[in-house]
Amino acid sequence: MKLPVSWLKEFAAVPADVATVAAKFAGCGFAVDAIDGDVLDLDVTANRPDCLSVLGLAREAATAFDLALNDPADAGANTGAAGGAPIKVSLADAGCGRYALAVADVKIGPAPAWIADRLIAAGVRPINNVVDITNYVMLELGQPMHAFDAARLAGPEIHVRRARAGEKLTTLDGVERALDETMLVIADRDRAVALAGVMGGATSEVSGGTTRIALESAWFRPQTVRATSRKLGLKTEASARFERGADISLPVRALRRALTLLQESGAGTASGGVTDVYPRPAEVKRVPLRRARIARLLGQAVPDADVERLLPRLGFGLTATAAGWDVTVPSFRVDVAREADLIEEVGRHWGLDRIPATFPELRTMPGLPDAGVTDGRLVRRLLCGAGVQEAVTFTFMEAGWAAPFAPADQIVPIANPLSEKFAVLRPSLLPGLIDSVAYSRRRESADVRLFEVGAVFAPAAEGQHVGWALVGSRGAHWSESAGDLGFPDTRGLAELVASAFGVAVEFSPDDRLTWLVNGRRARVSSGGLTLGWVGQSAVQRGVPDGDVIWAGELDLLALQTLRGATTRAIVALPRFPSIVRDLSIVVEDRLPAADVRATIRANAPSTLVSVREFDRYQGKGVADGHVSLSMRLTFRDAERTLTDADVQPAVDAIVAALARAHGAVLRGKN
Amino acid sequence: MADPASLRAAFAAALAACRTPNDVKQVRDQFLSRKHGSVTALVKGIASATPDERRTLGAAANALKQEIEQALDARESELAASAPIAGAVDITLPGRVPAIGRRHPLTQVRERIEDIFASMGYTILEGPELEDDWHNFEALNMPPEHPARDMQDTLYLAAPVGTADPRRPATLLRTHTSGMQIRYMESHTPPVRIIAPGRVYRRDNSDATHTPMFTQVEGLVVDEGISLGDLKGTLNGFAERLFDAKVKTRFRPSFFPYTEPSAELDVECQGCGGKGCGLCKHTGWIEVLGCGMVHPAVFESVGYDPEKYTGFAFGMGIERLALRRYGIEDIRMFYENDLRFLEQLAP
Repeated sequence: MKLPVSWLKEFAAVPADVATVAAKFAGCGFAVDAIDGDVLDLDVTANRPDCLSVLGLAREAATAFDLALNDPADAGANTGAAGGAPIKVSLADAGCGRYALAVADVKIGPAPAWIADRLIAAGVRPINNVVDITNYVMLELGQPMHAFDAARLAGPEIHVRRARAGEKLTTLDGVERALDETMLVIADRDRAVALAGVMGGATSEVSGGTTRIALESAWFRPQTVRATSRKLGLKTEASARFERGADISLPVRALRRALTLLQESGAGTASGGVTDVYPRPAEVKRVPLRRARIARLLGQAVPDADVERLLPRLGFGLTATAAGWDVTVPSFRVDVAREADLIEEVGRHWGLDRIPATFPELRTMPGLPDAGVTDGRLVRRLLCGAGVQEAVTFTFMEAGWAAPFAPADQIVPIANPLSEKFAVLRPSLLPGLIDSVAYSRRRESADVRLFEVGAVFAPAAEGQHVGWALVGSRGAHWSESAGDLGFPDTRGLAELVASAFGVAVEFSPDDRLTWLVNGRRARVSSGGLTLGWVGQSAVQRGVPDGDVIWAGELDLLALQTLRGATTRAIVALPRFPSIVRDLSIVVEDRLPAADVRATIRANAPSTLVSVREFDRYQGKGVADGHVSLSMRLTFRDAERTLTDADVQPAVDAIVAALARAHGAVLRGKN
Repeated sequence: MADPASLRAAFAAALAACRTPNDVKQVRDQFLSRKHGSVTALVKGIASATPDERRTLGAAANALKQEIEQALDARESELAASAPIAGAVDITLPGRVPAIGRRHPLTQVRERIEDIFASMGYTILEGPELEDDWHNFEALNMPPEHPARDMQDTLYLAAPVGTADPRRPATLLRTHTSGMQIRYMESHTPPVRIIAPGRVYRRDNSDATHTPMFTQVEGLVVDEGISLGDLKGTLNGFAERLFDAKVKTRFRPSFFPYTEPSAELDVECQGCGGKGCGLCKHTGWIEVLGCGMVHPAVFESVGYDPEKYTGFAFGMGIERLALRRYGIEDIRMFYENDLRFLEQLAP
């Protein structure tokens, strides 16, 4: 709301210095967005429609500066003739609580300069004397008004009713609007002439040739105006005030103020009196206010004298009671309904800065953080320590970019996206990570390793995942040549993260992982429960051709579930030394290493404590289609020191089993 | 036979050419060897000189011999000192710094906020990003058609998404973390002392200060006798720890549907010390968070007795705090994940 301080001064004798006035407004809850000469641009919160007016803001300023409010109320009222306006008004809808109307004979021309100047200062464009006066009254008192060209109203009659199905209205902005039965309209005998509380119609618009006007000053139900305004995407100065809640006691006063201005400015004179249809006058709200409750909520007792000074300045009526006061709420304070609202008024003007800062007592033992919080921290630190940088990406994306990562029926669309770029929620962390990898790759970063911890979405539920995408080398250093990242790097991250939850994972082929390269992809699971996947991304969008994206994703909620079933106790340390034997065997290169390991374990005595691959070689000396696998076997007995003689038969048996099962040949013995 | 002066000159040239201990040894032989050293020859030759010459020549020869011995010894130790040490390395080459990642700046600020509140006895919670109307709006004193819903333009789901509560499937992307107040109070009795960080969504276009997704931290304290003074004390303490200094704060009255009274906490601008600068839009103050005393209607919606219990709530945007902390001006940088930016962060 743009407030010329000179206008404010008509209602409250505030100091001349604009900055001082601005500071007071900020101090009682009206943030100052800008100061432009004499004009303050104040941020009026949604609960204070009464302060979308000079009078309302003057009441605040008068309270803040402890000044009398010069509220002329009905001063200069032009009551006109008795017996109402010469246009019949019928009101048969609860969407309109009050409808006041007056008729005036007018001569259209420019408004007086002082009116036009104030409108311009407040950011409203002057149009003609009649329209300008309605706008002036709205800015001054907060009551939106509308002037019809009375000659263009059929009847002339005014009906406040719901729009009819299929009814159309061309509004003042020249747009033809299709109405429906939820919308309230002002109609003449034949058709709708205005959208109640939102905007007038073009056919009855006041123009240069208008000689007689019907002036409307009404109160419309906030929900009705808001629903219509939203449905039509039409926001106006009037709708902004009605949907927040206008003052139901104001319409007649505002109408009289407008008639007075018409007469004083020579723009016109009333014809007949004021019609006021107000079927169910609002009851005065009464709210009890306890002084003990003020002290309890604010943490500081406020002297009675201050309460009894501040609240009446704001327009409240106070009657003392044993516990405090019985407070009547003025009709313009639509936001005040209960005691806490009154305590806010006291605190706001008594001064929040006067309330001493204290610290709340801790009466019970605080709880531990959610598992999600601690696990998020654990996973982040683990991956950072492993050389992967944390990223944060948008949760939504265009539909086409989500498509490769989940079946269409597993993607969650947004009903009202702002743009196609944000049409669906992500089914996986990978597309966002690929975008981020691409961003850095196009900006001279050669090795990019990113991870994200965050929500992913499916129609059945929201999930929580960790995902990563790696591109480039393992990091160049002068001491050695940098190797390219490969499948073991992404698989290793999955193993690392799972190990932090004490979960052992298995890797198996899965044809449903269609966004990964066939032959370079694996499902990650544990005991039959799928935890995620690892592999090479088959989609590159924006990542340079030739880059290989190694990626993975794990379900953190599933990992949490599995950890629940796992206990971690340290295994007693061995008391006797171990014996190590290395085996290099040549097998077909399609044979998974896991099969070799399984055969070794199946044919070994219980003294075999570990089997570990330490080399894999193809090339000179190994036949095409074959591979040399080197395995390190460690034997140990818990009760005694093993000898070579103990181990050799076991090794021989294993070699024989490998030969039988896989046609394995010991390397160098071929 | 050479005279001492020419021998001295010859020795100086030979010494200058010495590069290794072996060179020194050869020069020593050449001049001092008992059998064929040129200085040795000079000394031997003294016997055949005239008695007059003998005295002066003898002194000169001895002086020269001593001088040469000293120079050779000095050169020898000099060369020994600069000899290569077996197994020595070039310590000036760059070390192998383990490649590590860094937590995202939004995570770093978030964890700092979490740690500060954890130190004050708050439980840290996470909640769903997809919410239902009840938790996001209605229970927070924003019934349907409430104008305050406009303050947070909402993204809705095209079809409901399943949640833990089958009666309340999610219908929207949460516009704030305040729904966590409701979720926690629905399942716990007072005293309550929680914070709930997380991502929130608004139907906003991206620009330097807005993104359709951002991060908030919500806080809630409920007990008997909690006052606005407690709110001030708590948040002043928080600001002090967050900004690592005794910062000046002010509480400005404001409006939120779910608190009454409502306020905004400003801290004095660190950039200008309150004098006004570009960072604080020339106001001398920086908005940090919104807060207030829990509205009695919120207590009623979760079945708490508003006569018995009072409480305060607060909510802050992490991006705005992170902008200040890292001295950057465009919020979108947080979502680009440019390594050149992220790698500047402290590990």
